[in-house]
Parts: sequence; C-alpha cells; structure tokens
Amino acid sequence: MNDIAPDIEQQPDITDSETPFRHLHPLSIILKSTSVLGRNIILIGVLYFSLFDQNIFYTSLAALLIVALVIAITTLIWSRFSYQVSTKEVRIKSGLLNRNNRSIPFERIQDVSLEQKLVSRLLGLTTVKFETGSGGGEDGKLDALKLEDGEKLRDTIRDFKSGNTSSEAENFQPPDLQKKPPLFTMDNRRILIAGFFNFSFILLAVLGTIAQNLDFLIPPEFFDPRNWIETVSGVNGINGLSMTARIGGAIVAIGSLIAIGVLSGIVRTFIREYGFRLDQVDTGQPGFRRRRGLFTLTDMVMPIHRVQAAIISTGPVREFFGWYDLKFQSLAGDQGGQTDHSAAPCARPEEIDPIISETQISKMPDDIEFQRVDQAFWWRDAVIIWLVLKIAALSLGFFLHEGFFALIMLAFPLIVLSYLNWRHHQYAMTNTQIFVRSSWWNRKLTILPLRKIQTVDVSQSPLDHPLDLATVTIGVAGGSALSPLKIMDIEADAAKALRYRLLPA
Amino acid sequence: MTDIKTNTSDQEILEQMTVDKTRAFNQGLTPLHPPQKSLIRLRAAIRAAIVLILAVVGEYFLQRELHLPGGYLIGVAVFFALISVLILPHRIYRRWGYDMGTEQLRVLRGFLWRTDTIVPFNRIQHLDVAQGPLQRSFGLSTLIVHTAGTHNSIVILPGLATADAENMREVIKGHIRHDMI
Repeated sequence: MNDIAPDIEQQPDITDSETPFRHLHPLSIILKSTSVLGRNIILIGVLYFSLFDQNIFYTSLAALLIVALVIAITTLIWSRFSYQVSTKEVRIKSGLLNRNNRSIPFERIQDVSLEQKLVSRLLGLTTVKFETGSGGGEDGKLDALKLEDGEKLRDTIRDFKSGNTSSEAENFQPPDLQKKPPLFTMDNRRILIAGFFNFSFILLAVLGTIAQNLDFLIPPEFFDPRNWIETVSGVNGINGLSMTARIGGAIVAIGSLIAIGVLSGIVRTFIREYGFRLDQVDTGQPGFRRRRGLFTLTDMVMPIHRVQAAIISTGPVREFFGWYDLKFQSLAGDQGGQTDHSAAPCARPEEIDPIISETQISKMPDDIEFQRVDQAFWWRDAVIIWLVLKIAALSLGFFLHEGFFALIMLAFPLIVLSYLNWRHHQYAMTNTQIFVRSSWWNRKLTILPLRKIQTVDVSQSPLDHPLDLATVTIGVAGGSALSPLKIMDIEADAAKALRYRLLPA
Repeated sequence: MTDIKTNTSDQEILEQMTVDKTRAFNQGLTPLHPPQKSLIRLRAAIRAAIVLILAVVGEYFLQRELHLPGGYLIGVAVFFALISVLILPHRIYRRWGYDMGTEQLRVLRGFLWRTDTIVPFNRIQHLDVAQGPLQRSFGLSTLIVHTAGTHNSIVILPGLATADAENMREVIKGHIRHDMI
C-alpha cells in the first residue's frame, strides 16, 4: 500500500496545470458533522448526568458548544482537503497540520466503487472509493461528491483504462447504457427466499443473552411468568398449571424465537440485497458491476482478472430446494467485512453457470470424479471427542454434580457431524483447475484455477505421523486468513503428488 | 524439484541419491549454513538462562514462604536447559532444508509439526534479506519472501550465508512479475 503514494513533488503540475484542485461537495460538511455528533451523543448524555447535575440549561449550552466545535473543525478539515483529477491520476491533498499529498495513478486503480448511504442519497451525494490492490481496504476515499461528479470520475478512470482518453468523460451517462441484459438480478420474491435461508442461530443466541443480561434494567418481576399469571388469572403460581399448559408455553416461546430469527434474516437480506443487479461491463478491462442495497446503495466494479477463485456455497436445506450462493474470491474484501465478493446470493445452478463462464474459470465438467480424503478425518476426531468428553464428564460428574455425567451424550452428535463433514470433504482436479468441497453444514465448493495458486504447503502434525497422512494447504490471494483452502488428511505420498500437479514446474 | 535439477548422466549415482534422500532428515535438500546451528544453540542458551534465573527466584520464594524441600524447580529447569542447549539445536537444524529450483523455492522445516512449502518464483511480490545483530556476528541472513496469498503470505528461510541469501534474492528478482493480481 505504500507504493501508491510516491513522492509527488517529482512530478510538478506541468501536464495538468489547467485542471484545478477541487473541494468536496460543501454538503459533505453536514454529513461528516452529523456522523461525528451521532457518535458523541452519549458524551452529552454523560455530561447531563454527571458534570451539569441534570441542569438542562448548562447541558444545552455545552451541547451547542460541542456542535459548533465539531462543525468548525469539520469545515476546517474540509477546506484543507482538495482533490484533482488529471488525465492520468487522482491527486488528493489533505491534512490540517501534517499535509499529505497523495497521487494515485489511474493505471494502479483496480476498483472504483460508489457508495450512497441513506443521508447521502437524500442529499444526492456519493462516496467514491479507490482501491489499488495489495492489502485490504480502500486507498483513496472522496467523501462525498455530487452523484454525477462521482459517476463522471469513475467513467474517466474506466475510459483511461480502455485506452480512449478522449473527451468521452464529458458526457454524464452511466456506463450501463450498453444495452446488455444484466447477468443476474434478484426480484423481491427471490430476496424473500434468500432471507428465509439467512436465518441466523447466532442472532438468536445474542438475543437470548441480551434477554438474560438485561434484567438489571427491568424490574425483576417483569420476567417472572408467575407474576404475570397471578396478575392475569389469579392462579397461584406456575406449579398450579397443567403439564399441557407448560409445554404449550415452551413451544410458544421457542416458536417466537424462531419467528424472530426468520424475520430478522429476511429484513437483513432485504436491506442488503434489495435491487440486486449484476452486469457485465467491458470498458477497458472486462469486469462485473454490482448494484444493491435498500438504504445504503452500493455500486461496485470488479475487474474479472482479479477474480482468484469461485466459491459456490449452500446448506443442507438450501441444497434440497436447489439454491446456491456464488461468490468470487478477490484480493479486496467486499463491504461489511466479507472476504469474498457476493455475485449471486441466491441462484439456481443454471443461473450460476453463465456468470462463471464470464470469468476465466470454467465450470465443473460433468464427468469429474471427486476423491474422498482418508477415513481418519472423522474417526480420529471421534476418538479425541470421546476421550475429552469422557474425562470431562467423569471428573465433573464425580466432583461437582451427577448431572455432568450426561456430558458424554454430546459425543454422539459431534461424532455424527464429523462423519458428515468427512463425507462432504472431497477434491478433484482437471489440468487447469482444482475443485474442493468442504463441510456438511456450510457446504462450500471452491473452484480455483491452478495459475492463481501462490504457495502450496504439505504439513504433518504429530497425529499425522503414525498414519502417514498429510494436509495440503493452498495459499490464494484474498479470502480468509483463518480458514485457508485445505485438503485435509490425505496420504503423505498422495499429498506430495498432488502438490507436484498443483505447481507444475 | 531436486529430481529435475539432478544431472541424469549416471543412473547409479541418481539411485543412490534417492535412497539417501529418503533417509536424510531433510529429504536431501540443501541444509542451512552450518553456523545456524550455533545460532540456534546461542538463542536456546539465552532462553535457558532466563528460565534458570526465574527458577532460582521461584525456588527462593518457595523455600522461604512454604518451607518446601529445595531443588525440584531448579532441577527440572536445569534438565530442560541441558536438553534445549545440548541436544535440540542439532535436531532442529537437521530438519531444515531448502531447495532453489529453476522456477520455485522449496522450504522444509520441523519434525513433529512438519511443513513443506513451495513458492513459485513468479508468484513472489517482493523480497527481503534481513539480518539481526546475533545473525550478523555469525555471518547469517534470513531470506523473506512475500506472496499475494492470504495464507502463507510470508515465507521465511533463516540461516543462509549472507552471500547466498543475496544471490538467491538476485535470482528470484529476475522472475518477479508485476501483473499477477
């Protein structure tokens, strides 16, 4: 990332002295100030209760002062931030005391994305982000410009890359006017389906924890059903209820939790995916353009040559209904901390194939044979799970409470899960690509062209030596550092042979 | 890679080499520069000295506060210090190996947790040759290879003679491509 900010003073403004340095849109001051104030609203609350002893006059005076200060500083920063778009680079001057002068040559810019948060949309503004590769995160950010200025800037850069540096940038037309049908869109019905599968157990767990931990805010009687029952019907305590009523209550409770989970999944999916549209654009380099979002509109362009691997994921239920999720692994991360770029969140295989065929990745041949990994993948885990749980159950059971003996029952589902994971961990190779399937619950098929492989490890842990097994780890650009692409537990000789096929010298 | 590099003129030598290779602790790859063994030993000695000092302090408090019979803590510490200084350095050293192929670099390390990494030269983004103060006194350098991969983005090969490391850097530099990603 350091190499995109070379010493600009070497190149004085001879070439583009006529393009002036421009400021961001003045409304961005309001935008920035509100977001800063929003984050500091707690501070005012704290002041109200502590320093000013709940005196409303002093508090509002202080609040006014803070607002004035924030706006003043934001304006100052705004006035010291200027950018220039020449014919071949973007230059950004910024900084109050430490002046920073950054130059981003067009040819180094990999992605230009426009993002519109809700407030920016109301004001007709957009945030332009540049990405130059090498490392995650954006390397240049203009927050915010008028929408058409942003689009014009993006088109200028795209036109430069396509080789026509002419005055094409003068017209404000968005580039989707090449009358091509989109590669993939999602209507509301499809988003609803995607939402159903976005059901999140994690959210449920979080809600449950909050419900358990928030009782300090609410009077203790509030969560006590006995209290309610007594109030409502006068029945003396829950013990007086019949068995059916108690079971019914439990079912209602579980049902409502599930309903919340499903509903929140649908809502989150709608907010993120609303109006999902994937286009193919090919000004300069062929690429994908993706637009989506209900409140925050995002408009992302990803050049095809940056696609490292295709990841098709699904789940047991989703696969039963025939829905798959296509993502592309790329060096830059997607918005919201995602490591892979979502290209078709909920699609049929016949919809996914044409998208993949636009990339340099070819789809899976029909006659390909997947190979399983060694059985030790599950039985070794089974032995370890059994031993650990047995020790835990026995020691806790003897020393603490007899109920802990039941811990051993956990072994059964865990071992079954590990067996299912073994059945779903498979790999196959063609001359140019490797296909790796993994996991039973989060079913994932990774399609990786061999030329995108950066490194290959063959590693053995102490438990692998007696069985002469090895794990092959493939280093690919982008993706998660925590879960790299692995082919676990194959015979050591097979692992070495596989490595020679992965990296033909 | 070694298979490709070896000269196939004499079949018997080749067979003998493959036998040796499977027997050797580092699969017949190029061993690290021999002073690396002394460096590993020196580092182990420094660590052992710290552990011994801690053990002595701990022993002192155990005897003064708890009146335990002395010697156990120091005994254990001395035992592990001797192993890590006298026996382990040689065993760690002989498990390391590397191979400069014509197109790729192979690095082998470890015994219990064994890892064997291959990096093709043309996937390498940039290179460092690093040298710490201890390494300098032994004339050693570390070759650090950066790839674009998220896993294994840094492959480290310590214990090279400084001249070798610089030669390797020059060789690899010629293969670096800039348009990979």
